[in-house]
Amino acid sequence: MQATNHNVNGVNLKLLNAAIRFNALMLGFTAGTLAAVVIYSATQVSIAKWGDNSGNYLGLLAIFFPGYSVTSGGAWVGAFWAFIYAGTFSALSYRLYGRVLGTRIADILLSTVPTENPVLKPSVLRLHGISLGAAIGTMAALCLFFSTSWLVVRGTAHESIHAALFSNYLPGYSVSITGALLGAVEVFAVVFIACQLLASVYNKIVEMRHKKT
Amino acid sequence: MNRPVRDHEILSAVFAKMDVPAMSVAAGALCALMLFLATAILLLQTVPEGYPVGPHLSTLAHYLPGYEVSWYGALIGMFYGFLIGAIGGFAIAVYWNLTHYVALGVMLISSAELAD
Repeated sequence: MQATNHNVNGVNLKLLNAAIRFNALMLGFTAGTLAAVVIYSATQVSIAKWGDNSGNYLGLLAIFFPGYSVTSGGAWVGAFWAFIYAGTFSALSYRLYGRVLGTRIADILLSTVPTENPVLKPSVLRLHGISLGAAIGTMAALCLFFSTSWLVVRGTAHESIHAALFSNYLPGYSVSITGALLGAVEVFAVVFIACQLLASVYNKIVEMRHKKT
Repeated sequence: MNRPVRDHEILSAVFAKMDVPAMSVAAGALCALMLFLATAILLLQTVPEGYPVGPHLSTLAHYLPGYEVSWYGALIGMFYGFLIGAIGGFAIAVYWNLTHYVALGVMLISSAELAD
């Protein structure tokens, strides 16, 4: 039984990997749907507020969202691409999170005391800051690198004045391959720290709210 | 440190529910800090006399009434950042829990049908 379940150090790896895949799918669907709603709503609000003058900033999304425009029809295209990008980003982030967390998955549970029924009476989730920071930081770094590289590849690097604004927050960043690499390293560090903060605050509040369990 | 992890603990981790108030407050706090720092970093940079500070970031005022790229605006931005982050965190937590419940329901129904 242990051999077929690929137990390593007492961990059922088959179940663990299936669990990570399941949650990655759930998070991808969750984040993708929310992102689609945000982009659709933002586009409609922009149209309602500024009419023909809308799309000065939102229209820039068309660089990464083929077919997108600040129009009623374009809002649906934007929602589609937002779902794809956010869903993929989140699912991959969770897969990476699970991989970094590995067999320390028990650490993310609130209590080491088993619940009567983990399915029907779930425990409360905790976050593992370091794993979360490493996962989302890596994805954010890759996103910045590839999005900047896309601007370089399509030949609009010198026109990308808005992307260049990142240099205000990421010293050394520029719309170039080397600038993208440097920016990726810096954004990893920033996101890593941000995730640590998020996890710390979240876990602290969870402990305060559930300290009797 | 690396104690054996039992199957029910893995299942607990899969179906663990996100604490909605905790995620709302945590996300709100993070967004508040981010918006404050985004404004503060621009204010702390040296610019030539008469040069506009944060002309692009200031367009946030279209969506966040009262916001401006100033120290006072940074505080206003913190408030809005907390609000936006809290709403986002609330939505993520609620939606995360909802999708798990729905998936669980589908699995239970499927297994009940298979048992029949």
